[in-house]
Amino acid sequence: MMLENSVATIISLSCPLILMVIGETISERVGVINLSMEGSVMLAAMLGFAVSVITGSVLLGFICALLCGSTISAIIALFDVKFGMNQIVVGFILSMICINLSNFLGQSYVNIPGPRIPSINFGIMNEIPFLGKIIFSQNILVIFSFLSIFISWFFLFRTSAGLLLRSIGENPEAAKIRGVNVNFYRFLYVTVGGAFIGLGGAAFSLHAKYGWSDSHTANFGWIALAIVIFGGWNPMRASIGALAFGALQIIAMRLQDVFIELAQVLPLIPFPTMIIMLILFNRIGSSSGNWIPSTIKNSIIGLQPSALGRSIKR
Amino acid sequence: MIERKNPTIIRFLSYLITLIIILTIVVVFLSMLNDNPFNVIISIGEGAFGSFARTYRTLLIFVPIALSCAALSVTFRSGMWNIGIEGQIILGAIGASMIARSIIGESQLSPLVSLSAGVLFGAIWGLISGILRTTSNVHEIFAGLGLNFVGAGLVIYLIIGPWKRIGVASTSGTDIFPQTAWLPDIGNGLPLPALLIVGVLYLFLYGIFRWSVFGTILKAMGSNPDAAPRYYINADKYIIYSFGLAGAIAGLAGGIQAISFYHKLVPSISGGFGFLGILIVLASSQKLHTSLIVSFLFSGMISAGPLLQIEYDIHSSVPWLLQAFVIAAWVFISYSSLHIKSAYFIRGLTNKFTTNLLGLIK
Repeated sequence: MMLENSVATIISLSCPLILMVIGETISERVGVINLSMEGSVMLAAMLGFAVSVITGSVLLGFICALLCGSTISAIIALFDVKFGMNQIVVGFILSMICINLSNFLGQSYVNIPGPRIPSINFGIMNEIPFLGKIIFSQNILVIFSFLSIFISWFFLFRTSAGLLLRSIGENPEAAKIRGVNVNFYRFLYVTVGGAFIGLGGAAFSLHAKYGWSDSHTANFGWIALAIVIFGGWNPMRASIGALAFGALQIIAMRLQDVFIELAQVLPLIPFPTMIIMLILFNRIGSSSGNWIPSTIKNSIIGLQPSALGRSIKR
Repeated sequence: MIERKNPTIIRFLSYLITLIIILTIVVVFLSMLNDNPFNVIISIGEGAFGSFARTYRTLLIFVPIALSCAALSVTFRSGMWNIGIEGQIILGAIGASMIARSIIGESQLSPLVSLSAGVLFGAIWGLISGILRTTSNVHEIFAGLGLNFVGAGLVIYLIIGPWKRIGVASTSGTDIFPQTAWLPDIGNGLPLPALLIVGVLYLFLYGIFRWSVFGTILKAMGSNPDAAPRYYINADKYIIYSFGLAGAIAGLAGGIQAISFYHKLVPSISGGFGFLGILIVLASSQKLHTSLIVSFLFSGMISAGPLLQIEYDIHSSVPWLLQAFVIAAWVFISYSSLHIKSAYFIRGLTNKFTTNLLGLIK
């Protein structure tokens, strides 16, 4: 019973991070680092909550957050493909603007109640032992986030459109010579990634970390950035990372009374892990990792998109 | 890319245009908050320099911002993104606190020793970023971000763990350091030693960038990373050096924060000044004097925040928001060289006007 509850809570709590991680993975796979994530998640969370408080409709809140996330990402993509401005510069400045903007605009929504996402009734499915508790007790958002893991993985690695997306992230110039409208696709996929990030923001304020307070989602944007790397730019693996982070949070919460130091420090584990993973990718990927069997190697390694963070040469 | 130097008149005009655009943004932004934006500007001045205590606070805020700008101008010059500056500030503060809390903290030499420890700790944290970048090809943004949070975790651990106040385990900070460990004020009480450090450091950096081989190589690497190996420049070595130097300066900023502003170690010891420094250096395109002026103005704005909050009921995020907007506009203007283009446009207009006028007179 205890285990069932814990697993159900982990799945439910990880849902915003899963959405954010998927969005960032799509965006980085096409070659754009969306460094605005920390800010856009916060602004989307604030807007989603505020809109649903004003209108009383959770759906409208989610739509608004989605639009917010995709607009911010569209700005980055626009400056990248249109003006050739550094993505990191634009993303960082947008992030700083959005963090402060969300605190400023959200000041009258701090700690007030609002509508919640309704849970759906699966009827008889709830009675299935274990699975019934951990899957069919969740609301539609969590189920959507889980479906989107598989859909995004399938799209990226099993469809021709996904292949095109990845090729733009690896070598945009070559794709351009092949006649692909590189700028359009970059813009499109970064915006789609931003929509996921926006949804992730609303998933915080309307579900996992309900409500709004000053800097409500602080650090989660950076954490998601770290988890994307942990996942080796693969939505499936990144989501496992997000779930592991959810588990860490639960453990930290349970340890709060006993080991107070540990409980405060545990949520920061993704960051050293990210650095170690990056070193590992490099070590194993280079010639010094030749002794490792290729099956193991392929399952560990995550290949960073070659054109990550750089504008397309004209 | 060869940079063509614009005529003096064009440069002057372009500065003027940038200033006018930015001032317009500030006024429009403030007029959304209050009917009379100029009253708010006056209040900012009053809140920052209205009394001795306020000036003192402003200067204490100015020092770490100016130092982090200095640190960042080193790494930006070599084309690196030192996003790990927050972590370097935190580590500097940890180093300084470690000395201030120890037996050395009770001697007169304590401030000097603790600042040196801060420099050392910050430099180590910076070097890690540089070494990861050069030996393992870890992008400096990811390494820096990771190290920031490792630093944040470390400081929280120290505050609620080994260095906790006797009897209380809270995240409000450690015990206050003994008075001897504080950075002393000289003369009438302004934080002169800290300001002196900033002044000397800026002169030093100016000299390095202007006249030393090191500065020239950094600039060459930053402007064209591919060309460096062709001139037999060991780019990796200089990347590591620049991260080490930047980390040392950031560590100094952290040390000053700890022993002169808070007089204890608190979780938010960096105060977000590292990220603010990134914004400032981005906008001032690595010009030292510009970033010094901007960090002075911004520290005034931050220092005036509490007064604005009381007087106009403005949320505490407003100064930061305004700064971010100003920087965004500024960066956009300088990237798209809007100011240069419009300066040429204005000169063309005036030329046309004067020739027409002369024709009329004739």
